[in-house]
Amino acid sequence: MNRPGSLSRINKDKESLSLSLKKLIYGIVFLVIASFVISMYIVTERERRDYGIRDTDNVLKTLSSNVSSDIEKYKSLSRLIMIESRVVDFLRASEPSVDIGMINDARYGIMDILNATEGVDSVMIFREDMIMVATNRFTYKYDYELMNSDSWRKDINDGNGGAVVSLNSNGVAAKSDGRPVVTIGREINDIDTQKRTGLLMMNISTSVFERMLLRLGYNDICIMGVDGTYLAGNYEYSEYFGPDFINEKIEYKDIILGGEEALLAGCTVKDLPIVILRVSPYGKEGIPFRILFVLLFLLVVLTVLAIFVGVFIRKNITDPIFGLSAAMERNKKSGVLKKIEVQVPYSEFGMLEDDYNSMIDHVNELFDKLVEKEKTLQKAEMRVLQEQIKPHFLYNSIETIGFMALDSGAESVHDALETLGSFYRNFLSKGGREIPLEREVQIVKDYLSLQKLRYGDILEDEYDIDEDTLSFIVPKLILQPLVENCIYHGIRMKGEKGTIKVSAKLIDGELHLTIKDTGVGMDADKIESILSAKGATNDQNTESFGLWGTIERIRFYTGREDVVRIRSEIGEYTEIEILIPNTL
Amino acid sequence: MYRVMIIDDEESARKLMRAAIDYKSLDMEVVGEAASGIEAINIIDDIRPDIAFVDISMPFMDGIEFTETATKRYPNLIIIIMTAIDKFEYARKCVSLPVFDYMLKPMVRAEVTKVLEKVKDKLDSEGNRASDFEENEEELIPEETDSTELIKKYVKENITDSTLNLAFVAQNFGFSASYLSRKFKQDTGKNFAKYLNDLRMKKAIKYAELGYKMYQTAAKVGIPDPNYFGRCFKKYVGMSYSDYVIEKCQVDK
Repeated sequence: MNRPGSLSRINKDKESLSLSLKKLIYGIVFLVIASFVISMYIVTERERRDYGIRDTDNVLKTLSSNVSSDIEKYKSLSRLIMIESRVVDFLRASEPSVDIGMINDARYGIMDILNATEGVDSVMIFREDMIMVATNRFTYKYDYELMNSDSWRKDINDGNGGAVVSLNSNGVAAKSDGRPVVTIGREINDIDTQKRTGLLMMNISTSVFERMLLRLGYNDICIMGVDGTYLAGNYEYSEYFGPDFINEKIEYKDIILGGEEALLAGCTVKDLPIVILRVSPYGKEGIPFRILFVLLFLLVVLTVLAIFVGVFIRKNITDPIFGLSAAMERNKKSGVLKKIEVQVPYSEFGMLEDDYNSMIDHVNELFDKLVEKEKTLQKAEMRVLQEQIKPHFLYNSIETIGFMALDSGAESVHDALETLGSFYRNFLSKGGREIPLEREVQIVKDYLSLQKLRYGDILEDEYDIDEDTLSFIVPKLILQPLVENCIYHGIRMKGEKGTIKVSAKLIDGELHLTIKDTGVGMDADKIESILSAKGATNDQNTESFGLWGTIERIRFYTGREDVVRIRSEIGEYTEIEILIPNTL
Repeated sequence: MYRVMIIDDEESARKLMRAAIDYKSLDMEVVGEAASGIEAINIIDDIRPDIAFVDISMPFMDGIEFTETATKRYPNLIIIIMTAIDKFEYARKCVSLPVFDYMLKPMVRAEVTKVLEKVKDKLDSEGNRASDFEENEEELIPEETDSTELIKKYVKENITDSTLNLAFVAQNFGFSASYLSRKFKQDTGKNFAKYLNDLRMKKAIKYAELGYKMYQTAAKVGIPDPNYFGRCFKKYVGMSYSDYVIEKCQVDK
């Protein structure tokens, strides 16, 4: 819409339709894109999180049940050990009868059972008198002081024969290399007497969990004890451990891992002092591409629609308005009130155009009326003026007085009156704005001879009129004002006798009229101001109005600007040359 | 010598025309003046001009009407229109009439002289002048002796026609003006113009005795220009029309 001309005309206070339309469409497009991006972000985030949660849920549940079932396996293993005959013998024997052989038998009994399985780091069985048998005993360091107290086995005793899972042998024994173990402890009751005979602790190596994770293919898991001990899996994640996770319900947290957002989830395995942590970065999985594609499609459709509406409105509403406006503007500038003809797409604009055209008609009608009225008025005024002048009254009077002068012998008076009569007859003669040069020269001759009568000796007139110029048609009264100007602004200003010379020559079919006076002359500025056409438009400069007005008339008559030349020398002369092309 | 007649309602204009131009050098002389078209029609038979200066704006019969009437009867008459009124309508009418030239007042001697020189050239080349026409019509022999009576009757019946004159009657009866003039004088002892004028004056006296105003009488006797009528009446009766009316009224009482 690069129409500065039309745009600049639009009222500054009011917004243009096209501008507000542009704004509206840009606004709509912006809003659509913004809402698209926001909703896409929200949906994506939600979906990714939901996906993460679901995924994590699955993993954690699977893992929990795996851990639980493994522990269950070891629990039943512990039961088998408990009822192994050599172990039972060891437990039933009276204190003094317990010897190394019996202890070794018991150990072998345990080992026999353990042979079938993996992951058990050590089995410790304590008699009530704290005589113990243990496998893998030398990789442990024992806290004998604690062992002799009751506190460490309280939770096991509270289990009443059920398996109790704890960590690191309840503190009485720790691996020499500091590796953590999961301990299944249980009270041993004699099968026959139902009397407590001892206590069993089975330490399960954390490699069990490592293997489990490996087997399941989980590498984003960290398994920990409820006391914050790292057990297995990704050690890096252990720092995220907190008391919030000591709960069977899964707890979720958002964390930043390596500069990326990630979902941290954790829970305690049911009835076990084990916490599972999982960190899953939000991946591309879970992004609802289908919804996004639908949204994107809608976005494109909306944007295209907005642009289409914009283009439609521009092409069919604002452009035709501009077209109409431009046509009206052209009409205005051309100065002629014509009807306009603009191709418009809809009848509404046609209506507008028709209205404008009928208005133009009406305006023209009013103009015509006005002009007609003005003309009538002018004619009437002219008639009144002419009635007032009544030149024939003047002429008849001149004749009468002329006769009186002649009758009384005043020949010179008669001569003067005859000249006056001739001058006025030619000067006032109606009809014909163009006359032969001969008559124009006669007017000047009469005029100058009358002026000579008035001013006596101050001027002389000379004529050099070629014979072939006499019938040349010139606009009436072009010489007389120039000659008048010679007298009043040239010769009389000088105060000495001057000459006015009028010459006419035919050069290349063009008439060259020259009026030369030996007056005071003009300076270049004056010449410029007279020739520049603006010289006498202001009323102050009425001094040379006759000269200027005559020049304008000649220019108008010939249709050329360069037909008048003025040459002058200050104090010497002024020469005005007029060039009139043959109009025939 | 060519004969020039000046027809203008302004006396000073006539006198200026007469005084300002050097007619002699043009082989011309001013032989008569008329203050109106009516007067001119009445006296033109006696004056027999070759050239007539005619003013357009005159009362009762203007220059145009006069020219129309006169040129019909005297086809060779050179008419030069002089007018102070530069009206296109006049110029247009004059173009359709056999007018020699159309000049604007106030008159300029040089211009008038120029026109008269052209007139002289024309007349010289044609070689016939109004003043000549008496001499070359001897061979026309009249046959009907009662034609004079017919003419008298015709004049009596058409006395109110202001354009009635010798040339008109002669044309009507198929005679030349000069022949009619001589024959009429021979038969009646009066020339035609005098006969017509006497007839009108006798009639005018009757109207005067009835107390008609001069202009009314003038119109009734075929001289609608009361100024000219007044002069004719005074010349005929010996006193002015108004005096005559007053006298008559007193006598009656």
